[in-house]
Amino acid sequence: MILYLLTLTILLLIAPLLLGLIKALKMRILFKRPASIWQGYRDTAKLLHKETVLSDEASAITRIGPFLVLAPLLVALLFLPPAAEHAYYINVVDAFTLTGLLSLSTFFLMLIGLDSGSSFGGIGASREAFIAALVEPAMVLTIFSVSMMAGDLGVAKAGLNLAHHFPTHHMASFLFAGISFFILLLAENGRIPVDNPETHLELTMVHEAMILDLSGIYLAIIETAASIKFVIFASLFVSLFLPFGLQFSPVLALAIFVGKLLLVAVVVALVEVNTAKLRLFKVPNLLGVAIVFAFLSLITYYVLGA
Amino acid sequence: MTDFLIGLFLATLITALFTTRLYRLLLWYSLNSLTLGILAIELGSRLDDRGMILSGTITLIVKAVGIPFFLKRLSQHLGLVRQITPNIRIQYAIILIPAILVFTFYLAEPISHMVEGNANYVAVSISSLFLALLLMMEHRNIAPKIIGFLSMENALFLLGTTATGGMPMLVELGIFFDLLMAIVVINLLLRNEEVTS
Repeated sequence: MILYLLTLTILLLIAPLLLGLIKALKMRILFKRPASIWQGYRDTAKLLHKETVLSDEASAITRIGPFLVLAPLLVALLFLPPAAEHAYYINVVDAFTLTGLLSLSTFFLMLIGLDSGSSFGGIGASREAFIAALVEPAMVLTIFSVSMMAGDLGVAKAGLNLAHHFPTHHMASFLFAGISFFILLLAENGRIPVDNPETHLELTMVHEAMILDLSGIYLAIIETAASIKFVIFASLFVSLFLPFGLQFSPVLALAIFVGKLLLVAVVVALVEVNTAKLRLFKVPNLLGVAIVFAFLSLITYYVLGA
Repeated sequence: MTDFLIGLFLATLITALFTTRLYRLLLWYSLNSLTLGILAIELGSRLDDRGMILSGTITLIVKAVGIPFFLKRLSQHLGLVRQITPNIRIQYAIILIPAILVFTFYLAEPISHMVEGNANYVAVSISSLFLALLLMMEHRNIAPKIIGFLSMENALFLLGTTATGGMPMLVELGIFFDLLMAIVVINLLLRNEEVTS
């Protein structure tokens, strides 16, 4: 139980660090003077002291919305696969529940975007709906396929089973699921091929457009929610697709887990530097690739057994 | 390990189907050949078949490095169109590709008892043959058609190595010479196209 709480605390604390690391690494590769990797914490601390201004058009949704964006993600965080062998875990969440929780958070984010009454919020929300509609089927298929390979529909138990019996006979479908999930990780967190988190250019922004009218504590909550969403995806990726190092002593296992999370952040930063942002109407192509791989993963597992 | 490499082979081929840029397509072809070469070397060292190791090495040198490099230089020299948009729309491709895979599984089922090794590898090889055909079909430009042709040859090589546990060395060398001939013909074809257009 202590280990479970410790993992949760680590995940919550490391969340802004991962995004900060991505940003700093990208700037260093582009020969800019890098921002500090602790910038996420500083921003949150600064926003907590700022005055909160609301749009005149805003209704009660904007006041309760940020909490409703954060809450499903915090719930999802409770059901993630364990980071060490004998850690406590809750095995009730399957592919559909997990996707549903993440979509619920996205839904309230879109409502906040629409509620501000500005046109930017509207375009942001419509684009987010467009992307989310394509992400969901692929995500359900991918997690479902991995759970089938692991032999348990619950995500937490699946992660543990994969660590015990790595599916060496199903490497092909495992690989397809991994590729698909990595694309989803990029798409759902608004990283570069889909959305650029650093610009406020009206042609490209998706996530930023929805939160343009928020300020103060509400903005702090939404930013925290974004970083927690990334940490959920990264943690799912490392537990399901890089399932090793769990059998060591708890401290070492946690250290390996954190190291793998940092590795995911580094890989995301490298992908971001090396790809150009896609045009919005090209995004379905990328997500189409994700859906195809998710499909193929399930088909190769069931039909070919490879 | 074999499963993983075959998965990687299929993955690179499928990604090539969605590519819209010529140089990126060459990169995917090169990675495709790379996995094929590693697969042949791995299988060869497991079966202790020196011929297969040799043909895997030749694959690595010729197909993973040589041909993509040559084609890239050729396309730079001739100023070929680098933007290649597939004719088949993405929505249909998403449905078509899994359908091909399932179809080939049932296609390969009657001959599965004739194969010594894993029968599924035959199904995967035949499906990559069809996917390479799809790559040839979905483009109007000549350069992606060439890549489709070469990928088809890769799929045949995969079929040969996984289904039979290694073809005779003579046959594989013959295939390599055919490939070289094909590249020469392609070269002439491209230059001819440049003259006429």
